[in-house]
Amino acid sequence: MIDQRVFKFPGVKPAAAIMAVLTVIQAIMIILQAQYLSVAIVHLWKQQPIGTIVAPLAVFAVAFLGRHLLTILKDWLLYPFVEKTTKTLRKQFMAKLFDLGPSVVAEKGTGNVVTMGLEGIDKIQTYLMMIIGKVLDLSITPWLILIYIAMIQWKEALFLLAIYPLIIFFMIILGLAAQAKADKQYAGYQRLSNHFVDTLRGLPTLKQLGLNETYADNVYHVSEDYRKKTMATLTIAMTSTFALDFFTTLSIAIIAVFLGFGLMNSTIQLLPALVILTLAPDYFAPIRNFANDYHATLNGKNALTAVLDVLQRDTPSDRELLPDRDPVWQADDALKFDHVNVGYSADDTTLQDISFDVHGFQKVGIIGASGSGKSTLINTLGGFLSPQTGEINVRGTQVPHLDQKAWQRSFVYIPQAPYLFHASLRDNLAFYSPDADDDAVNAAAAKAGLTDWIATLPDGLNTSIGEGARGVSGGQAQRIALARAFLDDSRRILLFDEPTAHLDIETEVELKQTMLPVFDHHLVFFATHRLHWMNEMDYILVMDHGKIVEQGTPAELQQRDGAYVRLRSEMEGATVK
Amino acid sequence: MKGFFATFKHDHWVMPYLRRYRKLLALVLFLGFMTYFCGAALMFNSGYLISRAATHPYNILMIYVPIVLARAFGIGRPAFRYAERLTSHNWVLRIVSDFRKRLYQAVEKQAVAIRQTHQTGDVLSILAEDIDHIENLYLRTVFPLVIGWLLYLFVVIGIGYFSWPFGLLMLLLLGVIVILMPLLSVAINGRREFQARQVQRQFYTQLTDAVLGLGDWLISGRRHDFLAQQDAPIDEIASLRRADHHFQWWRNFAIQVVFGAAVIFLVWWAGVMFTHNQAEANWVAAFGLALFPTVEPFSEMSQGVSEWPVYRNSIQRVNALDENEPVKVAQTEIGALEELKLDHVHFTYAGAQRQVIDDLSLTLHPGEKLALLGPSGTGKSTLLKLMLGDERPSSGSVTLNGEPIARLQDQRAQLFGVLDQQPYLFNTTVMNNVRLGNLKATDDEVRAAIKAVELDDLIASLPEGYNTEVQEAGSRFSGGERQRLSLARILLQDAPIIILDEPTVSLDPITEQHLLDTVFSVLHDKTIIWVTHHLAGINHVDQVRFIEGGHFDMQGTPDELYRDNARFRSLYDLDRGR
Repeated sequence: MIDQRVFKFPGVKPAAAIMAVLTVIQAIMIILQAQYLSVAIVHLWKQQPIGTIVAPLAVFAVAFLGRHLLTILKDWLLYPFVEKTTKTLRKQFMAKLFDLGPSVVAEKGTGNVVTMGLEGIDKIQTYLMMIIGKVLDLSITPWLILIYIAMIQWKEALFLLAIYPLIIFFMIILGLAAQAKADKQYAGYQRLSNHFVDTLRGLPTLKQLGLNETYADNVYHVSEDYRKKTMATLTIAMTSTFALDFFTTLSIAIIAVFLGFGLMNSTIQLLPALVILTLAPDYFAPIRNFANDYHATLNGKNALTAVLDVLQRDTPSDRELLPDRDPVWQADDALKFDHVNVGYSADDTTLQDISFDVHGFQKVGIIGASGSGKSTLINTLGGFLSPQTGEINVRGTQVPHLDQKAWQRSFVYIPQAPYLFHASLRDNLAFYSPDADDDAVNAAAAKAGLTDWIATLPDGLNTSIGEGARGVSGGQAQRIALARAFLDDSRRILLFDEPTAHLDIETEVELKQTMLPVFDHHLVFFATHRLHWMNEMDYILVMDHGKIVEQGTPAELQQRDGAYVRLRSEMEGATVK
Repeated sequence: MKGFFATFKHDHWVMPYLRRYRKLLALVLFLGFMTYFCGAALMFNSGYLISRAATHPYNILMIYVPIVLARAFGIGRPAFRYAERLTSHNWVLRIVSDFRKRLYQAVEKQAVAIRQTHQTGDVLSILAEDIDHIENLYLRTVFPLVIGWLLYLFVVIGIGYFSWPFGLLMLLLLGVIVILMPLLSVAINGRREFQARQVQRQFYTQLTDAVLGLGDWLISGRRHDFLAQQDAPIDEIASLRRADHHFQWWRNFAIQVVFGAAVIFLVWWAGVMFTHNQAEANWVAAFGLALFPTVEPFSEMSQGVSEWPVYRNSIQRVNALDENEPVKVAQTEIGALEELKLDHVHFTYAGAQRQVIDDLSLTLHPGEKLALLGPSGTGKSTLLKLMLGDERPSSGSVTLNGEPIARLQDQRAQLFGVLDQQPYLFNTTVMNNVRLGNLKATDDEVRAAIKAVELDDLIASLPEGYNTEVQEAGSRFSGGERQRLSLARILLQDAPIIILDEPTVSLDPITEQHLLDTVFSVLHDKTIIWVTHHLAGINHVDQVRFIEGGHFDMQGTPDELYRDNARFRSLYDLDRGR
């Protein structure tokens, strides 16, 4: 009923203990409230003067106020704990994201991670706020009321006790039936509910095919189909609420009739009868509240599971094995991979048996078809992925992975679409060295060939760019990433992951002119399937199906007439005569 | 409140449906009312029942009617509630079907414009969510509110029947709960909501930014900055939530206090009113207990109304959709294609300064194949829009067989087939997806088209063959395979002019080569306009043109250009890795 994990949060136990005491007091208030309202009514029933009800009504009023003030007090006491817990969760979540790096985002999906951090934690807040109070209510209030009723009239109490498991039993049975039915329909259901967005997204295609107008009816019919299926499931799902409602309401009616007979036969007096009747709805209230919020509870539980799953992941340890030095990478340093295997999960190996040896400011080209493992290798080089087995040796230091603080200070990573932050152009350029002054930023921008473009921007370097702000073309995004490398001279390694794949040939030619000078005095890893870059490389790794099938200098590979030559001729295709 | 009426003043999305399905709506409201009526009546009846029984009537028949009624109300409440929930959901889902069709039609008419002004995916998801919001507006706000008011009226009139001054008192007292509190909730929430939305948006942007740029953050080593950046919005969100909770607690408390006062007044009034003889005194307990079950629907009203600001945005957004038909010129039809001609075309986007297309002329005859190249932003996509008739030239003309393209829009799908960067595959079977090219195509024709694009072996190897679901946005297939499926669709469509809009941009060179070979072999008899970003496969066409600054600056056959034009030659060699 209550998640054991809730009790693991610091501060939950004292909060829950105080809540429990308050719940007991509140139950007493509920009983007092019923008792004294009944007393007042019985006075009137006996046709006593109106003055006789002043005292009981006053007690009723106090108990009533007390009961609802206690509700606030309970929330008031619980809230700081809940707020602190959700705040901590959010901060821990962010810190964990940073420590885990992009691989967790790649695995979960950007949207998913953002939702988890935003709405997911909101749901946890609602869940924590609700679950502790509700569970305490459910485990204290009905039983105190029941004991009180039993002291008055044990038969009615017995009936109320007997009906309780019956209610729960029926709720579970019907709930399970609904769940089974929902599960069975889930796939089709999901498709129908996504159909609308699917159609809207495909509208340009529908228009190209001339189907845009006739498709409106299709939208309507699918939606109607969805309605019928939903209703079929809802009919069952709501039966479980119906059962709860039915048993509780009917129980009250039956109690009333019982009491009526008792009164006729004089086995009970009006006052106790009235007290029991007034208390009966409060006896059932906690379980009804609990059932009504069942779905919010379930959402909160799932969100908690998802967030805890991320928080409980192991962060790479040994991140400081590589000694720091400035600059981290120099002309006589060497990097060695020895039989390295890499995978995205334990039971899959994307890269197998990777061995190579590079040193100083070599230019290393990585070439291969889509899916051959080029990006995975770049990600391993960046430390975003940790090898499963094998040895990596940097500057003579043996490391289990490249997620080394010193190593990550040594390179610039330039993917196909470099990410531009929602910030000013200046902040984007100086992202790796936020303390750089304007002159340095301008100089770096000039080297990256951005000066003319910056001149056209309304606020120059202070113009806001990134998602939702000013659009930046693919070529310019590459230049901004390059400028980052120019700006931070201590980063002497460049990791390129298909930087020009989306660019048209003329833009690529221009960009190449800017890029080549950066290659000097840098160790370059360049994954691409644009062949002309290979001419600028002095060492080439040819990849196929997660393995390095050939490596060497371009001249050696050309001479060997193996995988490299085959790949090149396949990529070149037919020729103009 | 002003905002409330302003929202509905020009509304044509919410109110019309309340009117159209008014019978079902009345049923929903009736069932909802009966639910709470039965709840209150059960306590009223039970109070009377035990009071009457306590007077020791000489015969059980004296309390027979209340006994039967107790059971009836006891069963009635859950039954009505069940029926109400089913009917209201059914009602709302029925409206959703209408909504979806209508939203689709609105978006469809503006498809081109929406694509230009928004990030397609985003705006569409937002609109789809708006419909869900309006669905909740009915279920969580409108129905509880109206049912609550009905109940309120019933209670006030019922008491007013016995004593109108006391009825008036109840009108005022309960009015605080059912009118004043909801108004207060909207006013206060509306104010906070603006703030909340800003903080939420800021946090959302920052979080997305942080997640998408996580790699760069990691490399930068700025862990402290990264965490510090998130602190401010996290604290702000927390304090907004706190304020929200505090308001809710005190509001609910106030509702309870007013309610408690109403109960005390009612008992007092019953004590004054019904104590002249025993028969009258039996009613005191009835009135004393009857009010309790109404506190639930009454307090739900304020909660439902607090969600209004969220719904208001959705209502305003859908109402702002332009549902007018775009102005269309008189349509005509042409027979077999003879000539596609662009004659001294100039084009400037509305409101923009820069001329995107600058005096462009081009003539294509059936079967001719043209490749268009040029850096991004030089007018390639604008040129395609002009050819398709999505945009009209500022001066000059675009004609097919001498007819302006704007006059041929009804025939467009018979004239043009388009294969673009990301052809969309719908979340249905392979068979259905390909058949979209021509709904009348037989299964055999669809299979033949799939065979022509060389996917027959792959499809046959799938567990359900042609009936395999392509999954969301075609994610079951690779980029090259998705392009091939779309190509099969175009084969079935069988239009004389095919526009290829960078179909290979995200493919690797080998896949690209193979796809281009297939495209040009199956479409050998078509007129093809191919926009491409580099020179792979350029030998498939008989004309190459480079656009720069809105006009052609290099043109000729690939062989001529290679022979005579140094720039083309260097680009070509570079593309081939030399």
